[in-house]
Parts: sequence; structure tokens; C-alpha cells
Amino acid sequence: MKMSKILTLVLVLVMIVSCFAACQPTKPDNGDNGGNGGNKETIKVWVSEVPGATELAEAQIAEFLAANPDYDAKYTFEVSGVSEADAASQVLADVALAPDVFCFAQDQLARLVQAKALAAPGLQATANLKEANDSVSISAASVAGTLYAYPLTSDNGYYMYYDKSVITNPDDLAQIVADCEAAGKNICFELENAWYTASFFMATGCHSNWTMDDKGKFTSVDDDFNSDKGLVAMKGMQIVTKSPNYINSSSEFANAGIVVTGIWNANTAVETLGDNLGVTDLPSFTVDGETYHLASFSGNKLMGVKPQSDPAKAAMLSKLAQYLTNTECQLERYKEFQWGPSNLVAQQDANVKANESLVALALQNEHATPQGNIHGSWWDIAKLLGGESKNAATEDDLRLALDTYEKTILDLLKKSDDELRAWSVIGSINGTGWNVDLEMEELENGVWQTIEAYDLTTDDQFKLRQGGGWNVQVGVANEKTGETTSGYYARLMDGADEPGNITVATAGKYYVKLTWEEGTHNATVELVPAN
Amino acid sequence: MKNNTSSIKKSGLGAKASRRISNTLIYIVLIVMTVVWLFPYFGIVLESLRMESTGRVDYMIPKEWGFGNYEYLFTNTNFPTWFINTTIMGLATAVLQTFFILSMSYTLSRLRFKGRKFLMNFMLILGMFPGFLTMILIYKIFGDLGLTHANAPFGLIIVYCASSGMGYYVSKGFFDTISKSLDEAARIDGATRWQVFYKVIMPLSKPIIIYTILMGFMAPWGDFMLARFLAAGDDLGKNVAVGMWGWLQATNPSTMYTRFCAAGVTVSIPVTAVFLALQKYYVEGVTGGAVKG
Amino acid sequence: MKQLNALEYLKLNKFQRFLYDFKQFFCAIPGWFKGLILAFLGLVKDFAIKIKDGFLDIIHTFVKGNWAVKLSFVIFGLGNIYYGQIARGILFFLFEVAFVVYMFFIPTSVDVSSGLPNYRTQSGLNWLKSVNWFETGNTVGTIQQKPGYDYEYDVPITIPGEDSTRVLFNALLAVIFIIAFIVTWRLQVKQCRICMDITASGKKIKSGKDDLKSLLDDQFHKTLLAPSIIGIGLFTVLPMIFMIIIAFTNYSDVFGSIGLLNGQSELYQWVGFKNLAELLNFSEGGIGVAFGELLVWTLIWAVFATFTNYFLGMMVAIMINKKGIKIKKFWRTVLVMTIAIPQFVSLLYISKMFDFNGFIGSFLYNNVPFIRDYLVANNTNTLWQVPEAARIMLIVINIWVGIPYVMLMATGILMNIPADLYESAQIDGANGVQQFTKITLPYMLFVTGPYLLTSFVGNLNNFNIIFLLSGGGPTNFDMNIPSLEGLVPGHTDLLITWLFKLSTGSGAGARYYLASALGILIFLVVAILSLIVYNVIPSTKNEEDFA
Repeated sequence: MKMSKILTLVLVLVMIVSCFAACQPTKPDNGDNGGNGGNKETIKVWVSEVPGATELAEAQIAEFLAANPDYDAKYTFEVSGVSEADAASQVLADVALAPDVFCFAQDQLARLVQAKALAAPGLQATANLKEANDSVSISAASVAGTLYAYPLTSDNGYYMYYDKSVITNPDDLAQIVADCEAAGKNICFELENAWYTASFFMATGCHSNWTMDDKGKFTSVDDDFNSDKGLVAMKGMQIVTKSPNYINSSSEFANAGIVVTGIWNANTAVETLGDNLGVTDLPSFTVDGETYHLASFSGNKLMGVKPQSDPAKAAMLSKLAQYLTNTECQLERYKEFQWGPSNLVAQQDANVKANESLVALALQNEHATPQGNIHGSWWDIAKLLGGESKNAATEDDLRLALDTYEKTILDLLKKSDDELRAWSVIGSINGTGWNVDLEMEELENGVWQTIEAYDLTTDDQFKLRQGGGWNVQVGVANEKTGETTSGYYARLMDGADEPGNITVATAGKYYVKLTWEEGTHNATVELVPAN
Repeated sequence: MKNNTSSIKKSGLGAKASRRISNTLIYIVLIVMTVVWLFPYFGIVLESLRMESTGRVDYMIPKEWGFGNYEYLFTNTNFPTWFINTTIMGLATAVLQTFFILSMSYTLSRLRFKGRKFLMNFMLILGMFPGFLTMILIYKIFGDLGLTHANAPFGLIIVYCASSGMGYYVSKGFFDTISKSLDEAARIDGATRWQVFYKVIMPLSKPIIIYTILMGFMAPWGDFMLARFLAAGDDLGKNVAVGMWGWLQATNPSTMYTRFCAAGVTVSIPVTAVFLALQKYYVEGVTGGAVKG
Repeated sequence: MKQLNALEYLKLNKFQRFLYDFKQFFCAIPGWFKGLILAFLGLVKDFAIKIKDGFLDIIHTFVKGNWAVKLSFVIFGLGNIYYGQIARGILFFLFEVAFVVYMFFIPTSVDVSSGLPNYRTQSGLNWLKSVNWFETGNTVGTIQQKPGYDYEYDVPITIPGEDSTRVLFNALLAVIFIIAFIVTWRLQVKQCRICMDITASGKKIKSGKDDLKSLLDDQFHKTLLAPSIIGIGLFTVLPMIFMIIIAFTNYSDVFGSIGLLNGQSELYQWVGFKNLAELLNFSEGGIGVAFGELLVWTLIWAVFATFTNYFLGMMVAIMINKKGIKIKKFWRTVLVMTIAIPQFVSLLYISKMFDFNGFIGSFLYNNVPFIRDYLVANNTNTLWQVPEAARIMLIVINIWVGIPYVMLMATGILMNIPADLYESAQIDGANGVQQFTKITLPYMLFVTGPYLLTSFVGNLNNFNIIFLLSGGGPTNFDMNIPSLEGLVPGHTDLLITWLFKLSTGSGAGARYYLASALGILIFLVVAILSLIVYNVIPSTKNEEDFA
């Protein structure tokens, strides 16, 4: 008992002392291992999961380190294989856990940029990359003019493999179909997959261009599939789909007369067709006397670097990515996996130039469109057109299919009631040129204010609009209509007499504030100075 | 149908004849079923031995036979890593999960304490949430601890085992059937509860222990949801299910199809062998578990 | 409704009986709710009384206790140490120290190389401050990440901010720590009281050694349960609470028409009940439409999958067990193969086999005219691409998967049916079918009631079959829900496979907020159905039938 009582007292003392100690201001100690003492930082790198890709990348990194010995002392590297097709999903699941350098297919670029999961190369690096790589791959690695990734390959497109013993004229689609039917061979063209369906539409000059705002939201679409040109494309597709030998596939080489596919099936093509293998660009088709050359999507693989807070590490990663995408490394990958280089020098290499598939791809690329940022649902909607062409009995059926397509596409962009009610500021302010809506929030009923304050300079011009469209807008009175009052003025747009632009009188940092009466359409706009 | 008279009354046929007809019908049904049930397995074995192409074809019997697909698995792919990953997970889960499940089910079956009913109801309700959703958080936490990507197998072992106590139903049903008087007799002889558990009950529980071990071993071979989440695409951290699924999803399934079949056969052989060897215990578990719930 | 007595009940024919049971069941529902509310009120009352008693006890302890006991209200474990329970006291004390250090004295961690704070570790109090609990419109975490540029190295850099997920998780931990602190405080005050009472009565106080010993004896359940409960708490309960909280935020990694949010790059926000409201928005274009359709198909699927397997499996068991059938073991082993071979192998293979390019698929297309016509009429060449056909195939293949389990189970039970039941039935002239409907089926239903329940619930959440066979396809083009962008459920998706798609994104961006809200709804569906099924299946009320 006595012993324990003493202990109790000691504890009380300890407690009191520690309380005093705790009251002292504590300095945050410098991190986990406090400095660079000996501990190497681990850099994670993801490359393709294709067998051998990790080994090659490891060897290339070893060469990089041999050339840059001071990095060798600071960092160790860990390479693993992850499919490029879903690298973005894995990275975005948690950016903190994501690798520092990773490879991905170009269609994921916008998503990664929007999620701030990519560090753009520095100014000098950007200039170098633009010089070294072909323009298709540079535009594939850029969003709104800024280069965000390092081009890795330039070979993700489709063209045609065919059986020389069957096909007499690989340039004419109708002849190809006739030859296959005569020989009982399959026509493999995955037309019920939008990536391939688009081939016919782009051939006749149709396009589907989607625009996103700076938040990554699709705001509008310029799509003319539902047009006379689209109808021609549907008819062109029927040349293939109405044939009993048509197979909706891009990989079934057994008993195939032609297969429309890409370089990833090159080995299978050689194995199955052997000496009879022919490789060339897509054929042309003729509808109503006009001939069109089939078009295609082109695509690239890219290498990305994760954003860093440490500039030294960021610089090292940028250098590493530049190294891994340079001429030599791209050629090594070509040798190992037949990946077509994006590097201009590498493209001139004798071996690359002799590769039949890459030659066919290069031929086809003259008719190719880089795959832009397309709404995720478009792929599911457009692929139906392939099946519809097969089913359609009359031209009206084809038109109906196109009408449905257009309606479904436009439905995707339908706005919610909240979005239709919301006001935004648009104009030549804040570095934008009438193409970006600056968001406003509703402070109280009918009172809207921009979420951020903007630096406005004298003579900046802007308007306010509701629901992201021009039907309801606020500006100053329009001289054209003879109104001379200086008050703000709103109207439902019905032709020429829309309000004029509001001009900033005094430069400064302002919030834009709008008071709006729904019933009377009375509007007041104020510039509220931000402190 | 022992009773002759009733059969005669019914059909006018002899009992033997009637039985023969019904037995013949049953044999026919059973033979048809055998064919249907084994057909996919024959198919997969045959396709794994097909050499002339690696894609899908519209016939079953290979034109060229050989073990090329198996060779390819072990020389050109990460399949061996996945196989080892899954085996390690299977063994570790078998041991740890058995520990968790047995301690939980034994306690709930044979010990009485405050909060027992509450605990059982709580676990029942908890089990109604889609357990998969826990992965959203676990992925991040394990990521910070370095238990994802290439190390996913270790993370998965923890995930499989930690909450396995919730699956106590089958073995609790078993413990419920062991007579309580055994415990009481031992307690009167001065044994502690630990001694009762260890010396009296455990020796009687061989069937259920083997059943639990078997289930623990099999689970990682078929798990897809959790394994895919933690491996996060890293080829070295996958289990066989996730890895092989990826082969069929890739842009070029035609290059991996027969190899998928070969891998399927390779995976099935050890698992099936273990299972068939311990089939007896499995049957006891299934029957017992169903009846006692 | 008129309550029938046993005699009247027995007079009814089968259909009337069923109708009666059915009515009884629904009439009982208000009663349950009443019972539930009463039980809940009772709980509240008990709880209030407990708290009152607790306070009285605490006050008593403080007033009557000596200086050590009084001090232990502030310094944990002092009382225990004073009374000689040193190990216990020190543990209490260490817990308090750990708590104080964790809550107040953990510095914000700093990035080694850049010298910037990285907010990976902070004190508990900081986490609690920055989480902004449930303030709709406010962010989870307060410091946003920012872009910057380093001109010396000529590279863009990022100035780190907080990460919402980690903020939320750590704040949750802090809350749990605080609750644990309060509970421990109460526990050690109580211990003081117990020690006081024991000393007053002149008995000896238990030593640490005694405590340890009792863990293998009287307190053995604590030893056995501890690992499981810790495991379940850490890996199920905690993540579940987190998941439920996520349903009130807009956490996702999506960009597109619903805006961009990301776990690390951008803080996410509290949105209140918006997600649940969205999931239950049944107007045109609302996510509720998808939810409703999926719920209906999930129920249809569960009913068919459960009962086809159950009855067919039972028939197979009866056939194999019939007297005079030879090589029983062989038949059983053949069927058991489906259990032994990992499902992802067999199911993926079967799925590909029925594809147009698989040999069964191409055989059906080329050689069976009516299937070919049917497929052509539906504008495809694969059964998996026609919604009804895909659903039927799933149910049929599920029979292939499920029969063996039921067969094994039924075999065991069939052997337990008393043979004299059959003998007396034969004497009464019952034929095989009658024997089955009058004896075998009722007995099976009675004994396997719990199995039916678990297998029904299991089928509601049967991920593997759907995911591996059809992957949820074919795509549902009639369902036009703009805000789901790329994650519209397919014709054969179950709620659980849709949940998987939402939380992995499958290429269109993971929507954790929707997945979490959906998880809550799935829980409600399963809980309600379990309750109903549990009350409908034959249970104790028929017990005397086989007594």
C-alpha cells in the first residue's frame, strides 16, 4: 500500500510538470526523416502490362541513372505493369497513392487534366517535346493548347488486313465484299462499335465535335451525323452489313477475307494468314456515283508525370519522362513490341519505315482524325448506327435511325432546372474571350454574384446570361434600337435587338453582382470591389 | 415401393417393371446431366490444348494438339506470380480465418455472457450492408500503409480474415450439436473454460475445423471484387481471377483465349484436388449449416 | 380481420389457407411497428434510468472517495494504483497520456524535400476542426491544393492541400477516441468505487494476476471474442460508418456534366440528403428510374434463382438417392465439380462459349433456325445481346451452378426423414408424386427454412454470376439518365453489380457518393425483405407436424 501511494504522488507530479511543458509553444519538427540523410526516395513508375515492358523500362531507367549519377544517389525506382487502358481510373482512385510516372491511352487525358493529376512539362521541355514529336501526338497530349503529357507512341489507329488470295482489289469496298462472298470468307469489320462506325461518317465529311468548359463539363456538341452526308455513310455501311459474310468483329482472323483492326493484332494476322497476308489502308466506297475513302480515328499512348510539391523531384521526373520518350527508347520499344514511335527521328528509322503495318497506318493516317474529347455516352449511342444499317429495309429506316441518334445525343446535354436558372458572366474578361461562363451563385432570391472576384481592366466588356444560353441576357441598352438610357437592360432574345456589352469603367478587382426580377425582367448589375 | 398390391392397383404393371421404367428414366436424366455438367470442363481442357490458333473457333476438337499454351503461361506472362499470390492468400486465409471463425462461433454457441444476443443481432444487421463498400476507405488506408498494388495479397489476407468472425453460422450450428453435459462434466472436474475448449471440444470438432479450413483456402481463388480493388491494376498484385479476367477484357482477347483456358485448367487442378479429397467434410458443413442456419 | 381458431383453419382448403396467411401477415405489420416503437421507447427509458444511476454513482464516488480517488477524476488510474491495482492503474494512465498527446500535441507533418506542410498527420483537434461536419455547401477539409511554378528548375509544382478522405477518416478516428476516452473515464471511476466498496467490506482486492487468470476462465469469452471484435470493428464497422457519411458528400473522381471532384486534388463537399433524394427521384431522367428498374429485376432474379435451384436440386437429390440407382457417389462427384472449380474459370468460359464467336453460340446461330431468326429480329448475333434472352440464360446457367449445393444439402436431410412416414403413406395408397408433395416437400421446407432465407438474400447480392456471365449487359438504351453518364445500368445488372460499377467507375469515373447512398438503400431492401421472408417461410408454427 505504501509503495503504491508514493507512486500515486509521483504520477501527480509528472502530470503537472508535463502540463507546463505542454504549454510551451511547440515547434513543428521537420518531417518524418528530417532531411536527406541517406534514405533514398522511392519513385513509382507504371508502364504497359505487356510481358517484357517492365523489364525494358527498368533497363532504360538504369541507363538514365547511369547518365545522371546524382539522381542515382537520391532515388530508387520501382516499375510495375498496369494496363494503359484504365490507368486513369487507377490513378484517380487516389492520386496520393498513384505512381509518379505512368502511361495511359490518350482518351483519358482530359479526365486526368481535369482531376489535376498531371504535371505539365516545364517551358523548355514543352518546346523540346513539340519539336521532337509528330503534330498528331502533340495535339493528342494537349488540352486547350497546353501540353500536359509526353507522347509515347503514335500507332493507335485501324487499317485493313486482307487475304491476298481472295481480295483482288483492296481499294474498293464493293469489290472486297464480292470477293469475300465468292470465296466464302468473312468480312470482319466491327461496325457495331462506335470507334469503327465513325469510319464511314468521317469519310463522307461528318463530324461530332464536343466542347467542354474549364470544369470538364460538356457544354455543347457540333454533330452533323443526321444529314445527307450521314445518310450516304449509312448507305455505305450497308455495302458491308447487308452481306451475309459480315462479322461484327475486329479480332476473328479464322476464315477471314479482311479484318479491319490495328497494330495490336499484327502478330495474329501474320500467324493466321501467313504468306497470303496483305496490309493496307482502308478501301473506298461508292454511293450514288460518288466515291469516298474510309476515314479512321487515330490515337496515341502518352506518358504522364504526377504533380509534385518538391521542384527538384518534379524536375527529375520531367527529365526521366523526356528520356523514356526520346528517340532511342521509342526505337527500343519498337524493336521489342512493334509500337509505332511518335518521335519524328524514330519514325525515319529504316526498320520502322519497312514495317508493313506501320506503313498501312501511315497511309490511313492521311484520312484519320485524332480522337478528341468525346462524351462517354456517345460511344454507346453511335455504335447502334452500325446495327441499324444492317436492319434497315428502306431509306426511311436509315433516316429514322439518324433522327433517333441526334435526339439521343442532344438529350445528353439537356440541362437541369437549376442549371437553366443559373446566371453566369461571360465576356472578354479574366483572360477569356467570350467562351467561358464565369459561375455565379445565388446569394438570396434573385441576387446573384460571381463566386470569385476577377481583375477587371478598363474597357473590358461582358454580359450576363442565364442557363448558359443567349435567350435571356443582361447588358446595357442597345444603340441600334435607339434606346439611350444608361440603365441595364435585359430581354429575351428575339433577333437583332439584343442588349449591348457592359464596359468596365475603372480597373480593379471586383465581384459581379446581379439583381434580377424574374417577373418584370428588371435587372441591375453592380461591380462590388473585393478587398 | 415395397407394397405390391398398391402398385398393381395403380398401373396394372408388375412392381418390378414399373421400377425398371422409372429407374431407366432416372438414369437417362442423370446421364444427360453428367454430360451437361462436364461439357464446359471438357471444352476448356480441349481448347487449352489447341495449338493452331489462340483465338476462338467454332469447333471443339483441336486440329493440332500440344502444350504450347501452358508453356506460354509460365514463360511469357505474370500468371506464375498470380498463382503464387493466390496460393499464399489461400493458405494464410485458411489458417487465420479458421482461428477467427472458431473462436467466434464457439463463444456464441457454448458460452453465455452479457451482450451475446446483442452481438449476434448486430452482426446480422451489419451483414446486410454491401460489404464491398468498405473497400473505398480500406483502399486508401492500406495504400498509406503500403498494402495495395504489388502488396495487395497481404492487404487482402487481412481483409479476408479480420471480419471473418461474422461468418460464424455454420460452425456455430455444429457446436450447438455437441452435448452440453461434456462441458459440465469437465467443469466439475475443475477444468477452466480454456481447458474445456482446448481439451474437450476441439478434439471433437475435426469435421468443422476441416470444413472451415477448406472454405478459407477456396475463398481467395474465386474472389474478384475485393482483389481487383486492392490490386488497383498492378499486374504483380493480382490474384488469378483478376489477372485472367483482364485477359478476356483486353482489346485483343483473340491472342489470350486458349491461354486463358490453359490457366483455368492449371488453377482448377490443385483446388479441385483439395476439394474432392475433403469433400466429406464439405458435405457435413453444407448440410449442417443449412439445417441449423 | 377475423381470427380463426385451429379447427377452422384446418377446414380451409389450400388456397384459402394461403390467402388467410397472406392477410394475416399484412395485418400484422402495423402491430410490428407498434411493437418496434414501444420497444424503442422502452430502450430510451432504460437508457435514461441508467444515465441517472450513473451520475448518482459518480457523485457518490467523488464525495466519499479519498484524495487519490478524487484526483483520479482528472488523472486516470490514480485510484487503482492507490488501492494496489498497479498494472491496471498504469494502463489507464498511459491511455490518458496517449489521448492528450494525440488530441493536442501532434505537429502538422512537413514534406521533407520541399519544406511545405503536407497535412498527412495532424493533431486530433485539428482534424476535428477542419472537417466541417455536415455543413451543406462547405468542404470536407479546409485547405485546397494550389498550382505553382518553380522558375529555378523550370517546372510546374503543386502546393499541397488537405485530402478530404483522410481528413474525414482521421476526424472519425478522433471522435471514436473521444468516445473511448469518456468510456474509459467512467470505467476507472467505477473501478475506484468498486475498490472503495471492497476495502470497506474488508475483503482483498483482486490482483493483476487474478485478472489475467480469469481471462482463460470466467472471462474466457472476452479472450475469444477480442480478436474478432477488433477485426470487425476496424475493417467493417469503421469503414461502414465512413461509407454512410460519404453518402452525404459529393465524393467522386468524375468529370463530365456532373462536375469534377477528386479525393486528393480537390476537396469534396457536404451535400446533405441530395444523393439519397437523387437516387429516389423517379421522375423522367432521374436516377430513381434506374434504381426502380434494377430493384424489380433484382427481385425477379432472386426469386427465380432461389426457387429453381431449390426445387430442381431437391429432385436431383431424390433421383440419386432412389433405391436401385447405382454409382451414387459418381453422380454426386460429377455435380460437385461445379463447386470445386473456381467460378470465375467456369463462368467466364461459359459466357464466352455462348458468344457468337464461341462454339455453342455459333452453333445455335448457324444450325437452329428459330434462334437465328430471333437474333436477327433483334438485330444481333449473340444471345447475350438480347435483354430477355440474356436474363433467361442467366437463370438457366445459375441452375447449373446452384443445383449441386442444394443436392448435397437435400441428400443429408432426405436421409433423416423417418422411413415409417413413407411406409404408412404407401399403405394408404399414395403414389410417388403424392409422397413428394405430402411428406418430402413439407419436411424439406420446414427444415431448410433458414437456408431459403440466406440463399434468397445471397441471390439478391449474387455478384459473381451476373458480373462474370453477362457483365450486366446488354446496354439499356431506353434508359436516358444524363447525370449517370456512362454508368447507366445494363439490362441484367443487379443492384450489387451496379454498385460495383459506380464505385470502380468502369472507365467513366467512380461515383463514391452514389455508391454509398445506393449501399444504404440496398441495406434497407435486404433488411425489409429478410424480415418479410422470415415471417413467411414455414417455421415454428408447423413444428408439431413432424414431432
